[in-house]
Formats: sequence, structure tokens, C-alpha cells
Amino acid sequence: MRFTRRAFSGMALAATALFSLPAMAQDMPAPFDKPGDVKIALVRYLSTGDFFQAYLAGVEAQAKALGVQLQVLDSRQDAALQADMVDQAIALGVQGIIIQHGLTESMKEAAQRAVDAGIKVVAFDVNVENAAIPQVEQSDRDLARLALEQAVKDNGESWKAGYVYVAGIAPLDRRDETWREFKAKYPGINEAAMFGTLDNPIANSVANQARSVVTANPDIQVMFAPYDEFAKGVKIAVDEAGLTDSIKIYSADISTADIAAMREPGSAWVATAATNPAVVGQVSVRALAMLLAGENPGQQVIVPPTLITQQQLNDNDIKNMEELSAKLPQFAHADVAMPAWMPNPNK
Amino acid sequence: MTDTLIRYGFLALLAGLVVFFSLATNGFASPQAAVFIFQSVAITGILALGVTATLVVGGFDLSIGSVATSAMMAAAYAMIVLEQNAVVAVLFCLAIGALVGLVNGLIIVYMRVPDLLATLGMMFLLLGLQRIPTEGRSIAAGMTMPDGSTAGGVFSPSFLALGRHRFDFILPNLVPVSVVVLIVLAVLIWFFLEYTRYGRMMYAVGSNARAAELAGAPVKAYKIWAYVISGMFASIGGILLAARLGRGDIASGNNLLLDAVAAALIGFAVLGAAKPNAFGTAVGALFVGVLLQGLTMMNVPYYTQDFVKGAVLVVALIFTFALSNQGRR
Repeated sequence: MRFTRRAFSGMALAATALFSLPAMAQDMPAPFDKPGDVKIALVRYLSTGDFFQAYLAGVEAQAKALGVQLQVLDSRQDAALQADMVDQAIALGVQGIIIQHGLTESMKEAAQRAVDAGIKVVAFDVNVENAAIPQVEQSDRDLARLALEQAVKDNGESWKAGYVYVAGIAPLDRRDETWREFKAKYPGINEAAMFGTLDNPIANSVANQARSVVTANPDIQVMFAPYDEFAKGVKIAVDEAGLTDSIKIYSADISTADIAAMREPGSAWVATAATNPAVVGQVSVRALAMLLAGENPGQQVIVPPTLITQQQLNDNDIKNMEELSAKLPQFAHADVAMPAWMPNPNK
Repeated sequence: MTDTLIRYGFLALLAGLVVFFSLATNGFASPQAAVFIFQSVAITGILALGVTATLVVGGFDLSIGSVATSAMMAAAYAMIVLEQNAVVAVLFCLAIGALVGLVNGLIIVYMRVPDLLATLGMMFLLLGLQRIPTEGRSIAAGMTMPDGSTAGGVFSPSFLALGRHRFDFILPNLVPVSVVVLIVLAVLIWFFLEYTRYGRMMYAVGSNARAAELAGAPVKAYKIWAYVISGMFASIGGILLAARLGRGDIASGNNLLLDAVAAALIGFAVLGAAKPNAFGTAVGALFVGVLLQGLTMMNVPYYTQDFVKGAVLVVALIFTFALSNQGRR
């Protein structure tokens, strides 16, 4: 899976080169020559939490940059309602629909109905098993790979690891695949303990577990916690056990609170790999816009992640997500689904 | 024989577990391990002590989990957004806990809404309410507000100390504040329920409200007070949670509720009490903590832990309802 992103960015580069002829940059392809008449809908399954807020902000920003009308339909984790909302969007006469999360079983037929009605559809982080519908994804495998590569860079190829994992959650399962690959590739990595829980508040429950783990295995050097709530919990436990100097934490995802935790003096949380949820939102709209303009964004639209280290945060004095976007340009924008006519909402 | 078994069976089981884990794992038998087992159950333990008060008067409080997370959000909001100090934040949370308890009590006593339904409604209400001020965002220092500005406040160091400061006890920097709070509250509520007139009256209200009323007890007031105690204990739990996490997390608190209720119910079985009691609740919470931390140290995956929790609860309830009643029938 490791070549996917490179192959894809290669393709994206080629596509950008093709479209960046100066004459084409000026005029928008139909239907975006009259963007006010274009209506698109975002049909959401998950909406509470910082990630989903930021995702929505990205969708709104790109829709505004294109000048299209955006209708947000939020099913609040009700799978049946989400399917009904697709029908509602069809009835509203939208030209394009973004399906954001959901269950394959409940969304597959609804998505097909939308396609049958002549509506362009893209799906984010839900597989609706439909060849006409491009999948927008943040690459969980790349997230894990970036964080683990940094861990190998910092600690060498052989260390004792604690691993936080809960099976059955799709993104965590994909991150787990990469962890397995790494363990196979570097036999010196010794997984001394695996733990994890999604009991709410997650950070607090994980902290309790991690406390036991570091007491039973005081020689752990690296904690791989590929979800920021896990990392936050591990950090609390490491602080409480007074082991900040001997353990390094590598994680995935980022938020304003995570930035503060990583930047605490002597923090054991040294690096995280993250995809900017706002960028994922922008890419979702762009992929849909390409479909509407009769272009093909590709069956899989993968948003590449960025590695963020404690060092970078300190050097640039980054305090929140906005400053992170402003000071790490690779985090603020992804050159994905970006034909020359596409307005960039970050400019 | 059966009597001794019922009376001390649970405590013996607890002692047995401690011995087993000490032999089976590395580092379980240490003062540090003892402390973090206490710490891991401190917050649910405090919530459980609160819900014990409502169980004593024959009620129930489903809203404690969301009171705790609301208090956590309120503490973070007071400091980060309103830029207040630690004292204001703590008082703000306690006031919220007391107010929620009072409203619960009034609805149950004067509007005659059944306790489960009233507190269920309150649970949902708080889940939504805690998200309204920040439009669904978690609260952390430097966060962006809905209007685009950046929040200027920080978590005050003295507030964070509630979650991070450790008192010297045997070893330097050993006992965290949350454990001290748990023990103090446990002793307070235990003494209150067992040895004060008010506490005994609460048991009387719980076992037969009509009789207590005829005997001249202000039954309604006792019931309302029980919910106020429960709300305030839950908000103390929330304060400690916020101090430990250092931010205001969007969280339902349902797991806190379930763990707390489990601890209180396990407590029925301790010393063969067969009724809600503060000592039993504290032991119940500790029992779950010892089991979970011990199993984690043995690398047992998380899903077996819920199973184990459930098994303990079922066994405890059998102790309470089947065995303890044998003598009486």
C-alpha cells in the first residue's frame, strides 16, 4: 500500500500539468460558469467532535470559493435517517451529493438511487460499493507509516513498544495493518503490551490502563498510540508515572488541545501524523465539482497526511490549528483534485 | 457458616485478587500500584458515593455521568473562555451540580415524575446543554471560538494541581489529590449515612416513605437533599476529570454512569448489607479497579474487561438478593 500515495501524487502532478495551460485558468467549465445555480448537498452520519466541525468548515470554504449553494443534512448517527436524507436531497433537486461516513449496508442503495437520478455523488470514509462514486479517503496507512518512520528515525530499529489499539474500528484497523507490517519489517521492535479502550471519556480510561502497563513494563521506550485520544491518555499516564524522559509517544491526528499537550515542557508526545480535516472537506467538494464538470477525479481520492513533530511546533511557536495551517503550508492545502480552474479556498 | 460467607465473602475475594495479581504480575505489589488503582477508580468512586445517597432514599440518579462531563466542560469554559481563576471555576461547577440535583429533586418530589425518567431526561438535557456554548467543540487553551476569535484563557495551575499534585505519604509525591478527595468524601458520606440522625432518616425514607412521613419526617426534603448530594458529588468528579485531562472534552459520561452504578450495586453485597451503603460502594469501586488494573497489567484485551465487570456485578447481585435473603425467609 505504500506506493499508493506516491503513485497518486504523481498522477495529480501530471493532471495539474495538463490543466495548467494559462488560457484555461480563466474560464470555469460548465456548470460552474453559473455557480449560483449549482446546488450540492452534504449528507452526514457523524458530526459531533472537533474533526467533524473542521471537516464541515472545509466543505463550506470550498463551496463558497466555487460559489455553489450548499445544503447540509445531518443524520446524527442515525443510519436509516441518513439514507432517507439522500432521498430528501434528490427531492430537493441537487446536482451533487457528498456522503460523509455512514454504513455500507444502509447507504449502498440510497447512493445508487442518487446515481440513477443523474446526480453526481462522492463518498468520504464510507464504501458504498459503486463504481460511479469516487471515494475520498484520508490514508490511515500513510498516517501510521509517517508516525512509525519517525519513531524508527528517533529510536533506531530496535525498541520495546507499547501499542494502543481497539479492533473493529475501520480507521484503527487500517492503521493496525501498517503497525503489523512495521513489526515484520523491523524484527527489533518488541511489542511488550497492547491495550486500549473506547470507554468515554477515552483519554481518562486509556490513562488508567496505560498506568498499569508502564508499571508492569517500565522499560518500554516507545508508545504507538495511533489516535489522538489514546495518545493524550498515554501522556497523562506517563506524566503521572514520572517516565517522561524514558518514553516517547507517537500518534495520529491532531487538534488544538493536542498541540498544547505536545508542547508542554518535557512532553513525551514527540510526533503525530495528521490529515487536516478541513482539507479533507475541501477535497470532497473539489472531487464532486470535477465530476459535475465532466472530469474524472479518480476512483480513490486520497488526501496525504503530514508529519507534525514537537520540534516543529516549538520552533514555529504554533498554538492552535489555525496557526498550524498558517505556518505549515503542507498542512493547509493538499494538491489533490485540483485542476487549474478550481478556486483554492486558502487564497 | 453461610452467614460468614455472605458477610466476608466479598472482602475475602478482594484480598484473594490482590494476592493473585501480586504473584502473577510485575509491580502490582507496590505503593505506586496501590495508589494508581485508587486513582483509576477515584472519579467513578465519587460518582458512585453520590448515587448511593439517592439509592438510600429509594431513588436513582441517571444524570450523574452527564453532570460530571457538564462540570468538566463548565470548568474549562470558565477558565478558558471567561478567563476566571480556579476558585471561580470550582464554585461554578459545584453550583451547577447542586442546581441540577435540586431540579432533579423538585421534579421527582413535586411533579411526581418517576426518578428514572426524570433523571434520564436531565441526562439528555445536559448532554445537549454542555455543547451549546461552544457549538459542539471541545475546549482547550488557544481554541478558536465560533465567532473566529481565539480564546485567551488558560487552565489555571492551581486548578490543574487538583489533578496532578501529589501528597507525600510513605514515599514522596505519592498520593494524588483525587484519591484524597475520594477517601475524604467516602468517610464523610459513610459517617453521615450510618451515624447521623439525618442519615438514618434517609434510610427510613428509603425503606418506607409513608411510615417515615407518619413519624413526622420531612420526606420530601430528604429526597431532594439526596439528589443535591448526588449532583454535587458528580460535579466534584467532573472537576477532578477536567483537572486530570487539562481540557474540556465533549463526552457523554455514560461509561462513568455505568461504572458508578455498578460500584454502588456491588456495594450491596459487601458485609452482607443487602442495601445501599457507602462503605460497600467504596469497596465495590475498589474491587472493579483492582480487577481492571490487574488484568491490564497481565495484557488482557479490553473486551474481556467489560465481561469481567459484568460477571462481578452479576455475582454481587446474586450474593445480595439470593443468599442474603435466605435467613430472612
